[in-house]
Amino acid sequence: MTHEHRARRFGVEALTRVEGEGGLIVEVHEGEVVDVQLRIFEPPRFFEGFLVGREYTEPVDITARICGICPVAYQMSACHALEAVCGVEVDRALRELRHLLYCGEWIESHVLHIHLLHAPDFLGYPNGIAMAADHRAELERGLRLKKLGNRIVEVVGGRAVHPVNVRVGGFYRAPSVSAMQELVDELRWAIDAAIDITRWVSTFPMPEHQLPHETVLVSLQHPTEYPILGERLVSTTGLDITADQYLDHFTEEHVEHSTALHGRMLAGGDYLVGPLARFVLNSDRLSPRAAALADEVGLTAAERNPFRSIIVRAIETVHACEVALAIVEGYSVPTRSAVPVTPRAGVGCGWSEAPRGLLWHRYELDGDGRIVHARIVPPTSQNQPCIEHDLAHLIEHSLHLDDQALESLCEQAVRNYDPCISCATHFLDMRIVRS
Amino acid sequence: MTVSPPVTVIAIGNPYRRDDGAAAAVLAALRRYFGDDARVRLVELDGESVRLVQAWEGSSTVWIVDAVRSGRPFGSFHEVDPTRLADLDDTGARLGGGHLMGLGEAVELAAALGLMPPSLRVLGVEGESFDNGEGLSASTQQGVAAAADFLVAELIDVLATLVGRDDRR
Repeated sequence: MTHEHRARRFGVEALTRVEGEGGLIVEVHEGEVVDVQLRIFEPPRFFEGFLVGREYTEPVDITARICGICPVAYQMSACHALEAVCGVEVDRALRELRHLLYCGEWIESHVLHIHLLHAPDFLGYPNGIAMAADHRAELERGLRLKKLGNRIVEVVGGRAVHPVNVRVGGFYRAPSVSAMQELVDELRWAIDAAIDITRWVSTFPMPEHQLPHETVLVSLQHPTEYPILGERLVSTTGLDITADQYLDHFTEEHVEHSTALHGRMLAGGDYLVGPLARFVLNSDRLSPRAAALADEVGLTAAERNPFRSIIVRAIETVHACEVALAIVEGYSVPTRSAVPVTPRAGVGCGWSEAPRGLLWHRYELDGDGRIVHARIVPPTSQNQPCIEHDLAHLIEHSLHLDDQALESLCEQAVRNYDPCISCATHFLDMRIVRS
Repeated sequence: MTVSPPVTVIAIGNPYRRDDGAAAAVLAALRRYFGDDARVRLVELDGESVRLVQAWEGSSTVWIVDAVRSGRPFGSFHEVDPTRLADLDDTGARLGGGHLMGLGEAVELAAALGLMPPSLRVLGVEGESFDNGEGLSASTQQGVAAAADFLVAELIDVLATLVGRDDRR
């Protein structure tokens, strides 16, 4: 066999069923993975520069436009960071409303990913549309649940997409009790539906695979809650820090093949954020039925198979539904819809757990409340080195597969991370049209 | 229980990507005519397929407006066959571009689940620049105005038909 014959190079030119556009290039030489590159085609984000000179009130609405799938995550992280600059803490009732809004987004995002982006991989369909022929009832159940997530975001956020009711300090208007009560019956149904979804996905054939042992898992943590609105960052290596200490431990760097930055730990190595990391570090904080379900389907804090993240997403959906129902049932209109905010010069950092993982914001304001500097670290840029590393590990153990099977496996593995490569645009790039 | 209006107009796009905000601008113009009309639902979306399908639920007449890049003159507008949005062109590229789980897939998904409205029409406004930033190019502003005029006339016709139906009852 010649040298050339032993070399394999394959790629997925355009990754489908990820949010945004990207590709994957893998080089294998003599049975060894030489290179794995997750290629990002989208232009670099301009939002950080775009925010400079704007009022402190504006990032909440502007950064929501970065992602059509997780605008609430951007709004919450922006609020937390800007409130840190201004020395503001919102009332407990307003925090509950934020928690509910975020539950709506988690439900929407997780259900979309499970049913239309990832399940087809496990069940052997090219996409969710093809899957609909054989799994119509499951898809309809998923769509109904997603619609509930949309509705929660609409009731609290004022609009299902890019909510307009969120402001630094709280909300422009608190929802009415009657609007909240209309969610109750559907949320009760949703808990059972999400439990059924979890049982369904737990029957999927799972590739036997483990994250590389050196991968560090990173998540927010809250003293008592599952960390949608976590306070501190923790890791499987014992890190336990506040938002303003983030840059002491993490950095981002440019790589030639991607227009997105790559996150690294300053101590060395890549790290994982997202559902699997959240679950491993916080499974003892799940809602009661979600925790029982995790036990039932055999998920433990020792879980390291990224393919099983689809089960974690389903369990997190159960959790989000349970939390949402508790908030809705206990809701009364807050005494005020927002706490007063007076801008001041300074720097503040804030974060939250987007469906895909940790989302960190940092803002510097001048004395007039104008933004001097903005920095946003989204989950996918943090996960990119980890994805490449994990793929190299997976491919090394799967070289017996032919290129087509290996490509499919790699695509499925990328979708374990639900990468949101860029949701900042949508347009029709048409070559042929008919009037 | 909320009753769905008979007509829904959905604008897709991102106003922070220049002419990708064309559809939202068309919607703003429609809002001046139909903003208080309970028979017309005006929705701005990002193109995510399930939201699209669920946004038109219950309506019999649905219009989707989107910025397009088809090689036609900048600022022109034209109707697009919704059944062709997910087709591949000669180079293998999706006609629906941008987000692969986009409008074309929404139509396929709706068809697979029996959720297609009786009438679904798609209007494309030809964009010139999809760079980062705010503001429409001059040509697209003209296209938006013309597309809005066209849609106002179409919707008035549809609503008149609805009145006719009501009268016959």
